[in-house]
Amino acid sequence: MAMEAETGAQAELERENEELRRQVAELEAQLVEQAARTNELVARAQERVYWLDRWHIDLERLVAIPGVSAMRAFVRAIRAPVRVARKVKRSLSE
Amino acid sequence: MTRTSVIVPVRNGGPLLSEVLEAVVREAPDELIVVDSASTDGSLAIAEEAGATIIHVDPSEFSHGATRQMAAERSEGDLVIFLTQDATPVPGWLESYRQAFLEEPQVGAAFGPHLARRTTSPMIARELEEFFAGFGPPGSVSLQSADGSTGSSESFLSNANAAYRRTVLEEVGFRELAYAEDQAFGRDLLAAGWLKAYVPGAAVYHAHDYSPSEFFQRYFDEYRGLRSTVGHVEEPQPLASVRQVAREAAADLRWARDREGLGGTRSAALLGRSAVHHGSRKVAAVAGGRADRLPPALRRRLSLEGHAAGGDSGAAAGGESPAISGKPIGPKRHRELYYEVLDFAHGGTVDLLPPVAGMSEAQRLHIAIVIPPFLRGSGGHDTIFRIFRHIEEMGHTCSVWLADPTLKMKGEWPAVIRQRIREEFVELEAPVFKGFDEWYGADVVLATGWQTVTPILQLPDCRARAYFVQDYEPGFSPTSAESLWAEASYRHDFFAICASPWLAQIMSERYGASTSVFQLGVDEEMYFPREVPRRRDTIAFYGRATTSRRAVPMGMLALAELCRRRPQTRVVIYGNREPLESTFPYEYLGVASQEQLATLYSEATVGLCLSVTNYSRAPQEMMACGLPCVDLAGFSAESVFGADGPVTLSEFDPVALADHMEALMSDEARWNALSEAGIEFAARHTWKAAAVEVEEGLRAALREREALIGQA
Repeated sequence: MAMEAETGAQAELERENEELRRQVAELEAQLVEQAARTNELVARAQERVYWLDRWHIDLERLVAIPGVSAMRAFVRAIRAPVRVARKVKRSLSE
Repeated sequence: MTRTSVIVPVRNGGPLLSEVLEAVVREAPDELIVVDSASTDGSLAIAEEAGATIIHVDPSEFSHGATRQMAAERSEGDLVIFLTQDATPVPGWLESYRQAFLEEPQVGAAFGPHLARRTTSPMIARELEEFFAGFGPPGSVSLQSADGSTGSSESFLSNANAAYRRTVLEEVGFRELAYAEDQAFGRDLLAAGWLKAYVPGAAVYHAHDYSPSEFFQRYFDEYRGLRSTVGHVEEPQPLASVRQVAREAAADLRWARDREGLGGTRSAALLGRSAVHHGSRKVAAVAGGRADRLPPALRRRLSLEGHAAGGDSGAAAGGESPAISGKPIGPKRHRELYYEVLDFAHGGTVDLLPPVAGMSEAQRLHIAIVIPPFLRGSGGHDTIFRIFRHIEEMGHTCSVWLADPTLKMKGEWPAVIRQRIREEFVELEAPVFKGFDEWYGADVVLATGWQTVTPILQLPDCRARAYFVQDYEPGFSPTSAESLWAEASYRHDFFAICASPWLAQIMSERYGASTSVFQLGVDEEMYFPREVPRRRDTIAFYGRATTSRRAVPMGMLALAELCRRRPQTRVVIYGNREPLESTFPYEYLGVASQEQLATLYSEATVGLCLSVTNYSRAPQEMMACGLPCVDLAGFSAESVFGADGPVTLSEFDPVALADHMEALMSDEARWNALSEAGIEFAARHTWKAAAVEVEEGLRAALREREALIGQA
């Protein structure tokens, strides 16, 4: 009787170990996927920023310069009415 | 803590000295010390009248740091407070300090605010008010620590009004600086783990109003001091400076109007004064940080204290000229070359991640390849990138990290480096990083040159470290720091993936490393027998004299001997940027393109490529084009090609080398056999095959870690 209980407990422990191994393998696979995706994204981003890096332009630092944000806001502000005017012009000429 | 000592260095203290000492005496310190530097204006009498203990110091021996340290050592208080001769304490000053030190035992030093006097100009008064308001609220003590965890981590500390715990003065001490010794102490104190306190109640009336030229000189000295103590150098930013000066002048005007109700004329005058004041400060800040580049005479004129010396050495601070002095050279580099070696000496090796069962057999691995700087055409880098392009094709994830201890590629940013790799070598998919600020771990981190080893040892989140050993690098240069570091790099228990059995033997026998072997590949799309007539009189010699391990002088001797025997021999030398001088005529091909080399190898009779360390890729490329090659016996070539293999191996002797070349030129049957054997050997040694061997090495590195599972 005691031997049966012991065997049962051992089997339970084995099942638990198996489950933990499966979970570790799953997490490992997720980690590998994540690293691969991260690398791919960074590589793509590096292709896009090539000319910025070539000319040593750091956009983060650029937008942090006093006045640049104001200039961007100004450009945005004048862009909207210009677009509206163009749209109106197009609709009138059609 | 009960006893307090107040120390006031004095030199011709002037009209404010008696006011200062009277105010101190009212605060009832246990000890008042005046350190006098040969005053002639009656300062000594004032000090005696105030009951001060007087210490005489020769002006030539005075320095802000050493003199204060000496006075502190001669004082007896548990709390040592420094004032300058023009800083008048407000009532409650001493008690405020005493309380602050009693309540917080971790406080090592404290300072209080400087208040403007009634006659102080608005520029200085506003600046003082705003500056000290930044340290904390007016009513309570604010603490500062090195990590900023208890508030600001500013290094400000001014001996115009500062208090020190005696034990801290003994532990940290003032540096022997001519100037800014208090700020240096502030940094040293925080670095030693003590706290600094801002005590609003411990205020003094202390403000310097100078003429515009004196302001300039004062700021010049201040920024020169900042350069020597904290390394701060103000960058010139003309447009931003103009904007800032305008803002400051407007703020001064508002400040003065709020307090004094200025009229139009006085406002305009103040605006002008303010603009000159702030403008000269900007210029002085830039000049002060670069004082070492100015001629001594000019430096003396620009300095309020008249210091001409570029550095703030102890000798200069003490006012004595050294017995011998050289041209002062200021710091020029942001960091020292090979700074990682020092980092490693301080930090040591970071532990690897604990091994996980099955990690060596994972289908996809993340391999971080750390490379040294490269030039176009670098053979070692070409090998790395070709192999890891194939490893990417096997499904693994790679990332490339540039370690640049000698700043050879300091002007190139990561996206540009990546593009260069893709254009000049192979189209690697991996992202490229410069330095390790964005490090995010890897299954295997791979060193590829001795310079990359110390950075790698400090990288966290790695499962295994491996060393991609392409050659025996200590032999690249005469005994030097670099050669010793190269040798030391093999002693760090890396798994060594070696580019020949010869290298693997060195790694395991001399350095006890676990090893695997890969063999260099051939680009079969580039190197194959071209449709050109094979000549019977041509020797192609890899004469890269700048790479001493290619034994070019020995090759030239052998060729001279051959040409003496067979004057009609056509010699073609390539691989060097400059033609070599010789006793025989030859054709110089310079640093030839791969296309040119493939044609040369397809046309020549014998290839000569000598390697006295690990073998070159050239013999395999020659063989792939059907060109028999002569190399040296006794080095790595023998371990790769075999003693009786497709490459003819000669002893290290010019006559023997000439004999082998002559034999190949005259014995057609032997030539044909070696040419065929070479083509067959090269066909088996592709880059893909090399990548498979390297992948196995990476897995072996992980397996070695995995074997530790279960071991304590």
